[in-house]
Amino acid sequence: MLRTIVAIMAAKIIINVSRRFGNQGTVLAGRVALWLDPGILKKLAARVRGQIIIITGTNGKTTTSNMIAQILHANGNSVVHNQAGANMLNGITTAFIAASNLTASRHWDYALLETDEANVAPLLNEVNARQLLITNFFRDQLDRFGELDRTIRLISEGVKGRNIRLWLNADDPLMTGLPVETGLSCSYYGFAATPYDTLHNQDSREGRYCMLCGEEIEYQSFHFAQLGAFYCPNCGNTNPVPDYLGSDLQLDHNITMKINNLEVTSPYQGFYNAYNILAAVAVSKGMGIADAVIREAIARFQPQAGRMERFTVGSKEATLILVKNPTGFNQSLQALLNDHRSKNLFLALNDNAADGRDVSWIWDADLESLASAGAGISLLVCSGLRSGDMAVRVKYAGVDQELIQIESDLDPAIQKALSGPGKVNYILSTYTALFQCRKILLRLQAEYAPSVVRERA
Amino acid sequence: MARFTIAHLYPDLMNLYGDRGNLVCLQKRLQWRGHECHIYSVGIGQNIDFGAIDMVFMGGGSDREQGLVYGDLIKRADAFRQAIEADLPVLCICGAYQLLGESYIAADGQRLQGLGFFNIVTRVAQPRLIGNILLETDLVGQKTTVVGFENHGGRTFLNDQRLKPFGRVVKGHGNNGQDGFEGMKYRNLVGTYLHGPLLPKNPSVADFFIKAMAARRGMSSTITPLYDTIETFAHQQVKYKILNS
Repeated sequence: MLRTIVAIMAAKIIINVSRRFGNQGTVLAGRVALWLDPGILKKLAARVRGQIIIITGTNGKTTTSNMIAQILHANGNSVVHNQAGANMLNGITTAFIAASNLTASRHWDYALLETDEANVAPLLNEVNARQLLITNFFRDQLDRFGELDRTIRLISEGVKGRNIRLWLNADDPLMTGLPVETGLSCSYYGFAATPYDTLHNQDSREGRYCMLCGEEIEYQSFHFAQLGAFYCPNCGNTNPVPDYLGSDLQLDHNITMKINNLEVTSPYQGFYNAYNILAAVAVSKGMGIADAVIREAIARFQPQAGRMERFTVGSKEATLILVKNPTGFNQSLQALLNDHRSKNLFLALNDNAADGRDVSWIWDADLESLASAGAGISLLVCSGLRSGDMAVRVKYAGVDQELIQIESDLDPAIQKALSGPGKVNYILSTYTALFQCRKILLRLQAEYAPSVVRERA
Repeated sequence: MARFTIAHLYPDLMNLYGDRGNLVCLQKRLQWRGHECHIYSVGIGQNIDFGAIDMVFMGGGSDREQGLVYGDLIKRADAFRQAIEADLPVLCICGAYQLLGESYIAADGQRLQGLGFFNIVTRVAQPRLIGNILLETDLVGQKTTVVGFENHGGRTFLNDQRLKPFGRVVKGHGNNGQDGFEGMKYRNLVGTYLHGPLLPKNPSVADFFIKAMAARRGMSSTITPLYDTIETFAHQQVKYKILNS
């Protein structure tokens, strides 16, 4: 018991000190606490009275878990919830400690733990989670996990034999092996046909082959990437019937849709966010939360840091977007190309562990779309630790070389972009450069804020 | 002005690691020199006339996909081997490189047959060899550096007198992490673990293939130099990073 109190105290001090220095302190605090008391995560997780829900998958983990948290808060529940980017055991331990009192006697209604695929099994050894939500499987950071097959196997082996329900994307053929391999009970969420579907798909597509028999699968239509209405002509594997069906989807300006009989509207944009909403609503409905609470929480939920966050620098608008894999990159490019104004584009590529050390993935994204006549690119500034790779990528995508500039340092690079001839600015960044970019934009926003002129009455 | 044709073998199956970038690079560098470049995809069971193409490219895939490819490619092995002997430019990355050898011995000891073009054996061992890699090569007649990224569980050993390595490892793992060599070269065929992708940041390697394509068409072996400032910057940025890591 004393050991636990010492560990919590040490971690809380680290959290406070690092917050004072403007850092989140999320990883170090948990690491120290686990070193002082290896059983601490287990103890704290046992204080969750209701359910522990783990959220994993390639894209949309953060947005989806934030939405579920918003819904639970609106429902009057207490929730432990780890922060984006602090999703390994250390970061999750920090989240529990930050929410705990010194004697670890505080209880919570729910814990929402977002984590990488490879971390699901180690996490399940520590916490007794009964629900696992998987958002999707896309190609991401191959160097960290090996290949996508392996990623899926890691989850499958991690949950096998446990008492846990899987919440699966009914539109993702890569998930169809999971119920068979694990024998667990599953709930499905998915979309009916939408006006945005296509018959063909140019995205780098995973999972062309049936997870059950290995034959090539066929599609009636695609929502995007490999998500769509599929079937295997050999073994008959096809989309499971969704327990939570998204229909009447409409993506202009915001997102509106029906989930079973519940109509929701969100200030978010993009099909990928519609999936995040669908998944969050499905899990919430599954926990028995009232429709009115869900509808209200989704309507109020605003985009987060780096998820299409808007800044105003002087008279110029800048939108900050996180990119981390080809599918997300394509969705972001699509969103900015829907804006028909002339634009300065800033692309920061880092290759730290959290970005993926292998930057090859940028070649699987459709940057060729930037070279089209209607793209309206006035200036393109490449930045970050791998600014050169990004510049080569856009050059070979066919973007006019005259428009490409390289400035590896983020601060001067953002300023260069903002002073370009375009009407609006789009600031795209990989994970480890995102928070610096955001800080720079906040600073510039404050510096260029119109000064208030006070007149004497 | 000429029209070149590059066959992309099994793009649906062997397409890890942004391999597409290698083809985009060759195509653009031919176009910038006033040529046309047609890339066509060859899938399982589809016909390929090795006599009618200027180059073959094949990338990496996961183990399952590599098995499917072997089953198809072995049926055309003779024609492919003859084309290689006739100096056809060929670039094989990662899984495709391993397939050129005698065998691939998986982690569980299972032996997968290769095309057997060369006496090369690949054995899987832990840990995976992952990271940025810097080579020195004399591929283009003078010493140049090559940068890339490697990510392979296989340890590849060249036991074939006819082969030269693609390069000497300055920093990184290479074929097997032991003998200091990376990849293989035979006539105009290069097999390598380097992706990143390989060609865009190493324009001299891209131009090696373009020169070889041009020479086989009886065109002059000197090709128009291009303005490679951005490519050179990217190359140097990674090289500096690797040397200082």
